[in-house]
Amino acid sequence: MSSEQDPTWNMLLKDFISGLDLAIQHLEERDVERIPGAREALIRRLENMRTHFPKNNGEIFVKAIDDKIQEAFFPNTKNFAEAFKKVLKSRTHEQDYIINELINGFVTSKTKAIASNTQTPIIDRMVEAFSTRNDFHIVDHQFYAMFGDPNKPRKFVQNKLQELVDLFGLVSKELVVERDKRRSERKVYTFYTFPDEILTILEEKYIIIDNELGYAYVSEEFDRNVFICLFLANIAIKRENLKEIGGEYTVNGISAIFALILLLSFMPKLRIDENNPILRDPTFNESNMSVIPKSWMMRQILDKLFEPLIKIIAYRLGGGLWLSNIIDSDINKKIHNQIRFLLKDVNRWILGELVRVEVPIFVEISNIFQEIIIGAETE
Amino acid sequence: MVREKWTDILPRYQTFISHMKPILRETRRIIEDLDADLLYDTEVLDKIREEEERRNVRKVRALSEFSAMYRSNVYELMKDFIIKYRDRISLIDIKDYIIDFLQESIEALTILRNITNPDQTNLEKTYLHILVKYLERILFPRGSSIKIIYEKLLEHAPEYYESQRHILKTHTHYREDLEHSDFFIIPGISPKVYQIINNITSFFNLDPNYGPFPERKNQEIPMILKNDVFLPYIDSIANPEEEAITSIAERIGMRLIDGIFLAPKEELIDLLKDNNFLRTKTQADGITRYIPQFSNETLILYYLAFASRRRGFLSKELINWITINFAFLIYMGILKWKLTDENIFYSIFKDLQTNEKVLPYLMKLICFPYYLGLDKTKIRDSPQYRKEIFNFIGAQIDNLTYLIEQVGKFCYDKFEKS
Repeated sequence: MSSEQDPTWNMLLKDFISGLDLAIQHLEERDVERIPGAREALIRRLENMRTHFPKNNGEIFVKAIDDKIQEAFFPNTKNFAEAFKKVLKSRTHEQDYIINELINGFVTSKTKAIASNTQTPIIDRMVEAFSTRNDFHIVDHQFYAMFGDPNKPRKFVQNKLQELVDLFGLVSKELVVERDKRRSERKVYTFYTFPDEILTILEEKYIIIDNELGYAYVSEEFDRNVFICLFLANIAIKRENLKEIGGEYTVNGISAIFALILLLSFMPKLRIDENNPILRDPTFNESNMSVIPKSWMMRQILDKLFEPLIKIIAYRLGGGLWLSNIIDSDINKKIHNQIRFLLKDVNRWILGELVRVEVPIFVEISNIFQEIIIGAETE
Repeated sequence: MVREKWTDILPRYQTFISHMKPILRETRRIIEDLDADLLYDTEVLDKIREEEERRNVRKVRALSEFSAMYRSNVYELMKDFIIKYRDRISLIDIKDYIIDFLQESIEALTILRNITNPDQTNLEKTYLHILVKYLERILFPRGSSIKIIYEKLLEHAPEYYESQRHILKTHTHYREDLEHSDFFIIPGISPKVYQIINNITSFFNLDPNYGPFPERKNQEIPMILKNDVFLPYIDSIANPEEEAITSIAERIGMRLIDGIFLAPKEELIDLLKDNNFLRTKTQADGITRYIPQFSNETLILYYLAFASRRRGFLSKELINWITINFAFLIYMGILKWKLTDENIFYSIFKDLQTNEKVLPYLMKLICFPYYLGLDKTKIRDSPQYRKEIFNFIGAQIDNLTYLIEQVGKFCYDKFEKS
């Protein structure tokens, strides 16, 4: 069905516009901004959104979500390698914070999240295990030796390794030694590595292949975020199988963080007085940071904007299946509310003002909006 | 018996380094004496190594195993280097390169071996003291008050904030108790506590309530509802943090008012005011209101300053974490100073097996009173624990890498240039 005839999509757009109306109404009643004109700039931006977003069947949303957010962090493909390549490509120093947050963002929901707290050190262990060898493999025995705990049964670390192998889609091969040197016993070693197509992608930057020596070293660039990209790619391609990707929590967590990215990208840059102390703050870098209004973070306003936005994201990412998992429950509202404070390294506070670090994803999405506004004004 | 004296720990630190250096020196001598043309056939190196191993007369098994492993790594790396370049550059140049790399490594080991001295004479002139103090100024400064420490931290925050918060975020946070039976004990920051502190920062900046300043008349301080901070946490996952809120608040300079509001303490108010994180506004009724304008680092650095001031009361995890970071930065900084980036032996120094032989003792030395002044009895000796904390090396942050470069540069300027 084309989106023009899609009643769900139309309904979602309508809900977002109603949300904007309510947000504007609340904003007019209360001002928490300290920069003169900040609230007015935000109201103006929301009004612009109300005018332009529904146009061409939500063209801005489609472009921003499908072409930018999904392409960068959640590629819409069934091909694991292709998805991984795209996520990996969107890595920059600052965007790494977003990638990290996509995994850390689930800390509000303990039990069902895939990447819960206890697993993060394990990702570091994977990095370590790959870094210590020169063939870009990890061997089960080596992994047990490095990370096994004598106070816990071997089964524990075996299960952990298996979990990781499944999570990252690693491939295995066995090496059988009929008589090992120490005890003259038969031993089976299992080697794990990345699938060939993933290795090819990593070769460009993260693995150095030395053909003469037949070695494969990991480069300095190889870090935990490579695994997080792999994890995201894995969820992206399995998005239709909710059970495998962590269910409702993952759907809500990912949709909410992407909604935050979208919202931040649409926030107007504020013009600040040259005497404002923020300009003298050593952590403020005028060339890649902008002060944005903060009133959208007030719960009364955010609730109105965030809920429909999360649903829009969920629908574009996973269709009706994902949308049906964004339930207006109290629990989900709590999770959504928490999300506003995430991405704290690119959505940061400096002397009480909210500052957006202009990472590529924000700039690209913001440009879509600007182009459409300018186009409309020219017409 | 736990060995706690300086004179007990220093020889242990030096043991493995003392065994590494002669192997490299011997190897350099052998390579120097070798006709460059013989290097083409790497079997020659194998034979030399076998010969060398046969000469090994060490009686302590751990040491002879380590020496064998170390020598074999050194020879393997040389062989790889030869195989890789023998058809591209002349053998005489290869030989020179290897000798240079060996020489650099010997120099690095000499520095590491002489990092300090057995009786701590002239300790201000030792590498260890100078480097600990250099890093301490940036990451964990001392001072007679939290305010002084806070301001020192703030001075370095633009360049090193990520490293400053890194040393608070213990890798083994899952072993920490938020609230200790001994109220004074300060744990590291877990990801959840970090998130809670960030939420508190946001709530103060966003739309705080104001109430009377308990200690001063005609003044109002900002306060936020404790419940707002914990509201989003479902499935009771932040219950331990909520129960420990009084302790957490204390560590960021806050207090609980009427059991429901979180508000800055008197000393925090003064500190924030002096550093532009609070501004004052006198209202029409003559009451002065303190309006918060926090930055991301405002409360986190207070936590660090608080920990630094009360460094005698840090939790076991935090002490291990801070000292391993210091030890790692010093060790890597010295390597950065002495070894060129292309040195083929870098990987041996960075190897986990080498690290775990050198760094644990360096961690203990760093704890002594003239250095960081931490409780060295809390440094764990279990090999399992070492594995656990050494994993962080794989998870290094960019800012730490930058700091290592700066330590290397500092060493060069301080010890070589002058």
